[in-house]
Amino acid sequence: MRWFKLLPIVGAFSVAIGLGGCATPPNPNDPGAVADARETNDPLEPTNRVFYAINDGIDTVLLRPVAVAYRYIVPQTVRTHVHQVLSNIDSPILLANDMMQGNPRRAGDTLMRFIVNSTLGVAGVFDVATDFGYPAHDTDFGITLALWGLPSGPFLFLPILGPSNPRDATGFGVDIAIDPFTYVGKGTVVTALDYSRFGLAAVDARAAVLGDLDKIKQQALDPYATFRSLSRQHRDSVIMDTREDTRATVPAWFARPAPTTSTQATP
Amino acid sequence: MVRPARAHNLDPGDAMKAASAGTSKAATMLLPAPTEPKSMLTRRALLAAATAMSFVGIVMGVMPSARAQGADAATSFVDATGKALVATVNGNGSADQKKQALRTIIDRDVDVPEIARFCLGRFWRLATPQQQQDYTLLFHQVLVNNITGKIGDYKGVVFALGHSSPRAGDVAVGTVVTRPGNEPSRVDWLVAMASGAPKIIDIIAEGTSLRLTQRDDYSAFLSRNNNNVQALIDAMRRQTVQPS
Repeated sequence: MRWFKLLPIVGAFSVAIGLGGCATPPNPNDPGAVADARETNDPLEPTNRVFYAINDGIDTVLLRPVAVAYRYIVPQTVRTHVHQVLSNIDSPILLANDMMQGNPRRAGDTLMRFIVNSTLGVAGVFDVATDFGYPAHDTDFGITLALWGLPSGPFLFLPILGPSNPRDATGFGVDIAIDPFTYVGKGTVVTALDYSRFGLAAVDARAAVLGDLDKIKQQALDPYATFRSLSRQHRDSVIMDTREDTRATVPAWFARPAPTTSTQATP
Repeated sequence: MVRPARAHNLDPGDAMKAASAGTSKAATMLLPAPTEPKSMLTRRALLAAATAMSFVGIVMGVMPSARAQGADAATSFVDATGKALVATVNGNGSADQKKQALRTIIDRDVDVPEIARFCLGRFWRLATPQQQQDYTLLFHQVLVNNITGKIGDYKGVVFALGHSSPRAGDVAVGTVVTRPGNEPSRVDWLVAMASGAPKIIDIIAEGTSLRLTQRDDYSAFLSRNNNNVQALIDAMRRQTVQPS
């Protein structure tokens, strides 16, 4: 490919950045429009829409076909185990965040999952820990910041990463910094493994939402606005679930058998 | 078969639910008491006292028990609707028969006009009566198409009832829906009891509300089309014409 074929993409990026992307402010005489704009909280909408279009293009020509092929070639069982291996590798990040969120029960779950699944579960291939009473959960530094009281800030649609906001984008960076695998070794093999991990994680995540994403793009009148709404609602609900996870620190199986349920009552 | 049971075991709210069910039963038992003295006594003062007592009875007893009954009714309603949906999706009929059966369930159990009004938000009042009518009709069609278009993805689906909770005058009934080859997902059904018969007014999947997402979609479309409701109606009409 000649370099000048990249010009449209480079052009699109520079236009997006050049615009400085400020949305047209709502008519101040229309209280409904002003309320809508405040609720949408998307002052960079024009820029965001450009990045959405670019990401959508990359997705259509690259990520989606790969995910379709992955789903078609690799059997369901294998895909499940691949997902479990990838989740297991993420355990250190999870543990650090569970602890920073001040949730010892979740931290305990994560630690036990990592120990049990890395050994009995053969490097995370099998999820034995769930049957042992250590259920899986997911979290990240964006959620930690939210629990610390940091508001999300305006909506951002980032290149490659997709729907986000300043808080969650910061969280993404911090999670990479927390990940011990970021600092493991320097060599061709390690680098190759690292890239395959991220590549596989992207394909794994994309394949999981294959049907849903197709349906949304097909059914929405404004897919960008629909993804904005969905990602924000989903994020809020995950944060709420994390906040409301106040299970007792002592697991149910460890508690002495008691005649009443009072010992299991959460504080 | 194992999954729903495990989901229940994990549920930390079960003990709480059992406890609250106990209190509501006790409240129902207290109910008949205030009406007894009323029939025996004739004097005004005592009548007033009885009225006062029955008022206390309403506040203390009837309200919580009515709410608990509403939650129970909503739960059994969602259970019945969910079973009907699962039976249809997993049934043997042809695709067309299934679509017809789903349409029947939607028309019976879902308050489509109410959801339609919600999704248009502040633009509902800006629309002419004719536009409101056109929009509601198209909305119904789009909703049915969207739901029936997903039949294939849900083959083999199972669902388990969770606990219900009041939410701003309505009842949210929690369920766990498991599709083969997918992680179990949490789906809440928002049920309105206002019109007498329970009706579904929203479905909240993994924290994302169907009607809120739809309203954001429409409102974004409208703000990019000069807030012209007719443009939305035309776009929806094109959606229904397109084979999906």
